[in-house]
Amino acid sequence: MNILVFTKRVPATQEEELRIIDEGQGIDLSKVPFKVNDWDNYAVEEAVQIAEKTGGSATAISIGDAESDEVLRRAIAMGTKDGFLIETEQILHDPNARATLIFNFLKKEGTPYDAIFTGVQSEDDQFGAVGGILAAKLGLPFVSMVISIDAFESDHVIVRRELEGGLQERVRVMLPCVISIQTGINEPRYVSIMGVRKASKVERKIFKAADYQENLVSKIEAVKWVYPPKKGGATILSGELEGVCKDLLGILKEKGVYQ
Amino acid sequence: MVSQTQTRVLTCIQCGKCTGSCPEAGRTPFNIRMLVRKKQFQSVVEESIPWYCTSCGACTLRCPRDVKPSEMIIEMRSALVENGAIPAAIQKALENTFVQKNPWGRSRAKRGAWFEKLDIEVPHISETESKRLLFTCCIQAYDPRCMVIPQNVATILTKGGVEFGVLGEEEACCGNEIRRVGESGLFEELQEENKAAFEEYGVKEIIALSPHCMNALKKEYGDLGIKIVHYTEVLAAMIKEGSIVPKGSFNKKVIYHDPCFLGKQNGIFDEPRSILNAIEGLEPLEFSRSRENSMCCEGGGGRMFFEVEATYQRNAEVRVQEAVEKEAEVIATSCPFCVMTLEDPATEKGITVKELSEILMEVL
Amino acid sequence: MSYALIVAEVRRGVFEERNLDAIGLCALMEKDISLLVTDSTYAMNEKLVNTIIKIKLEEALFLNPLNMVGVVKTVMDFSGKPDVIVFTHSSSGTELASYVAGYFNLPLITDVNGFDKERGVFYKSYYSDKIFGEFKQTGQGPFVITVRSGSFKEYAVEKVSSPIDETIEGIPIAEGRSFVEYVEEEKAEIDITKAEFLLSVGRGIGNKDEIPDYEELADLLKATLSGSRPVIDKMWLPKARQVGTSGKTVKPKVYLAMGISGAFQHIAGMKDSDCIIAVNKDPEAPIFQYAHFGIIADIHKVRNKLKDILKG
Repeated sequence: MNILVFTKRVPATQEEELRIIDEGQGIDLSKVPFKVNDWDNYAVEEAVQIAEKTGGSATAISIGDAESDEVLRRAIAMGTKDGFLIETEQILHDPNARATLIFNFLKKEGTPYDAIFTGVQSEDDQFGAVGGILAAKLGLPFVSMVISIDAFESDHVIVRRELEGGLQERVRVMLPCVISIQTGINEPRYVSIMGVRKASKVERKIFKAADYQENLVSKIEAVKWVYPPKKGGATILSGELEGVCKDLLGILKEKGVYQ
Repeated sequence: MVSQTQTRVLTCIQCGKCTGSCPEAGRTPFNIRMLVRKKQFQSVVEESIPWYCTSCGACTLRCPRDVKPSEMIIEMRSALVENGAIPAAIQKALENTFVQKNPWGRSRAKRGAWFEKLDIEVPHISETESKRLLFTCCIQAYDPRCMVIPQNVATILTKGGVEFGVLGEEEACCGNEIRRVGESGLFEELQEENKAAFEEYGVKEIIALSPHCMNALKKEYGDLGIKIVHYTEVLAAMIKEGSIVPKGSFNKKVIYHDPCFLGKQNGIFDEPRSILNAIEGLEPLEFSRSRENSMCCEGGGGRMFFEVEATYQRNAEVRVQEAVEKEAEVIATSCPFCVMTLEDPATEKGITVKELSEILMEVL
Repeated sequence: MSYALIVAEVRRGVFEERNLDAIGLCALMEKDISLLVTDSTYAMNEKLVNTIIKIKLEEALFLNPLNMVGVVKTVMDFSGKPDVIVFTHSSSGTELASYVAGYFNLPLITDVNGFDKERGVFYKSYYSDKIFGEFKQTGQGPFVITVRSGSFKEYAVEKVSSPIDETIEGIPIAEGRSFVEYVEEEKAEIDITKAEFLLSVGRGIGNKDEIPDYEELADLLKATLSGSRPVIDKMWLPKARQVGTSGKTVKPKVYLAMGISGAFQHIAGMKDSDCIIAVNKDPEAPIFQYAHFGIIADIHKVRNKLKDILKG
C-alpha cells in the first residue's frame, strides 16, 4: 500500500500563557517552541508500519513555511520514503482552504496513492475537518477517529473507530480512501537527533502553494482573538457532607460521565 | 571527551566488584557484571534491563581494570534510543527536552519564574561584572519543592556579597541525565546551546546548584575555560571567610546523605559537612554507608523520569529506615533528586528531609 | 424559508444528550428547527423542535458520512436550503460535518462553544481553550457547524406542543464504507489513558484495606480507578494504574482525586483533564491550585456518603 500522510508543525502551547496582540488580530507566538502535531505523529507511525507490512511506501506531506521541513525530516527518520513541502507563508485557518490546496496539489501532481492518512485534528486550531473535506472533494470514502487498522486487503481496509464512552465501531472502507488517525493507535517510535540528522540527507521536495490556488477561497473569517472566560481557582463545595456529595454527583452528571 | 565514553569491556576479568557496589544488584534483575560478560560475547540483553542503572558511577569507580561499566550501560541505551524502542516515560522526557529544553516539558519562557517573587534582585548574567553564573537546573527551576533551593542560594550569596547572574530562559537543560539515558545527539545540542550562551555573555565562573549539572558542565562539556563549582563549595568558603555567619541555632540531629554526583563522582564530601558543622546546636550524624560508599537514592540516570517495575524496597526507604534507627530528626542532602526520592518515605516515617540551603536559611 | 437543520445522534437506541446543545444553539439563533434523525426507537422531548424528519435508515447507516450527503441532499431538495446545518462535536458529528461541508462546498466551523447574537459571530476554541477565535461565515451557506457538548443545552426550550413529522425513504446506500459491528472496549486490560472518568486515590487513603471500598465506589460511579505514586509503590494498585510522569499521562473528562496532595510529578500527569475535582482534608494541598472543584473533607467520609447516596 502506498500512503500519503500529512504532518503539521504546530506551536507547543500546552505550557504557555498565550498573549493576544494587535487588538485581537494576532497571538504572540514569538517565544513559543514548535513541534510536530501529536495526531500526525501517530498518523506517520501508522503509515510507516503499514507500508512496511504491505511492501509499499509512505510519503509525508506538510503545508507550511520553510521551517516545516523539520517535521518532514522527522517523518523520514521514522521511515517515510520521502517528504514533500507545500510551502506557504500564509496561515490557512479555514479547513476548506487547506483541503482545497491539497486537492489541487494531488490533482496537478498526480501523486499516486492507495490511502491518505491525516491526524484527526491539529493541536493548534483543533478543527478536525481537513480529512473529511478532502475525502468528499476527492469523492473517496472517509473514516475518522481510527484507533486500529485491523486488516488491509488489496481493495479495502477494516478499521475500528473510537466513539464515546469506551464504545468502538468496526467499519469496512474501500480503497482508495482517507483515514484520520486518532492518538493511541500505536506507540510512535522515538526519533533521535542522530536519526533526524541522517534523515536530513534524504532530499525533500519543495512545492509552492501559489501553484495550487484554483478555487481556493476562505469561506470563514477569523474576526478576532479573545481570551476565554476566566476559570479562576477551584470552586470549593462546602456545607453539609450530604449536600456536598450531591453537588459532586451533579457535576459528574453535568460533565456527562455519570448518568 | 572520547576517552571518557570509551568502555573497555574486553579487559574485564569478571571480578564482580561492580556488582558488589551496585545499588540495584541483588534486588533487581540488573546484574552489571553479567551485562559486561554478555557484552563481551555480544549476547542479547533483554531491553528492559539497562534502564535499571541509576548512573551512580560506583561500578566505574571501583573497577580495577577501568572497564567503565556505567558507560557501557549508556552505550546499550544509545542503541535502544537509535532504534526508537524506549520506555514511554523516557521518550516523553526526551521529546520534552527537545522542545522545551527541560525533561518535564514546562514552558521554557518560565524558566526564570523562581526568582520573580524574591525580595532580592537577580540580574541577568550580562548585567554582572563578575560574569559569575548561577546555573539553575531544570527541576529546581520548575518544581515547587525544589524551587526553594535556587531561591535560598541566591539569597545567601547576595547576603554574603557575592555577585552572580542567571541566564533565565536562555538556560537549557545541562543534559547530564539526557546523555545517561543514551541520547547523545540531544546532549550535544543542549551542550552547544549552553556553550553558545556562556560564550556570548563571557561567563567566567559557574556555580552549579545541582550536582548533576555540575558534573556535566565540569566533565562532559569539554574544556570551557570556565571555573565550575558546586554551590556548597562556595558557601563553605563564605562561612570560613566569615562573609556569612550562621547566627541562629538548629537544635536537631541531622544525618547527611552524600549525593552520588557530588560525593563519589566528584569528591565533594567535606564542604557540605563543614556547612553543617558551622551551625550551632546541630548534632551531625553519619550513615553507616557514607562518603565514597554512600548508598544511591536511585534518582539518577533517568530514573527521575522513569520507574522500573519495583517489587523491592527502594533504597530511599532503606536510607530513611537507617536515619530513623539512628534517631535522626532531619535528613540533609544537597541534590534535588535526592530530596525528591528521600522525601516520600521520610514523610511516612515522620522525619524531615532538608536540602542544605534550607537549614542554612533558618540560621542566617 | 429560514430554518436550521440538526443532524441528531442516536447510538444504540439512545438519543445522545449532546444533541440538546445543537438544539440550544439553533434556539439561540432564533431559527425554526428541523431535526434529522434515524427512524428507530429512542426517547427525546419532541417539543424542543419544530419538525422531526425521520430517515428510514438504520442508525449505523444514517451516521455514515457517505450516506449522510444523500440524506442532506434529499432534505434540501425537499425543504430548501437551511441557514445552518448543525452537528454534535463528537466522533461521528465531526466526521459527518466535514464530509458534508466538503461535498457541498460549504463553510464549516467545528467545536463551537459560544455565539454572539448581536454580532453574528461564533466562538471556537484554539490551543486547547487558551484562546477563542471569533468566526464569521464569508462563503455561501448554509453554514455547517459542530457544537461542543455542554455549551448550549440550557437554551433548548420547548417550542411546540407537537412537532411536524416527516419521513424520508429511499436514500441510496453508499458502498465505499460499511458498518461491521460495535466493539466494547475490553475491560480486562484497563488503559487509564483512555478512560473518560478516573477516580484516582493517593497516599491519603491510609492503607491497603481501604482499596476495595474505593473500587466499589469506582464501580458505582462507573469510573476507572487509578492512583498516585505512593499507592502504586506500595503495590496497593498495579503499576498500569499509575498517573504521573513516571506512570501515565491522562486527560479524562473528569479526574476525581481523593487523598492526593498533588506532587509536581503527579500534576504533570493529569493537569490537562477537562475537569479536575479534588477531595482532600488539607486545604493547603497543592492539588487545589489545579482543581476546578474542591472538597475539603475526610475522604473516607466522602466515600461512604457517596456510596450511601448511590446505593439509594
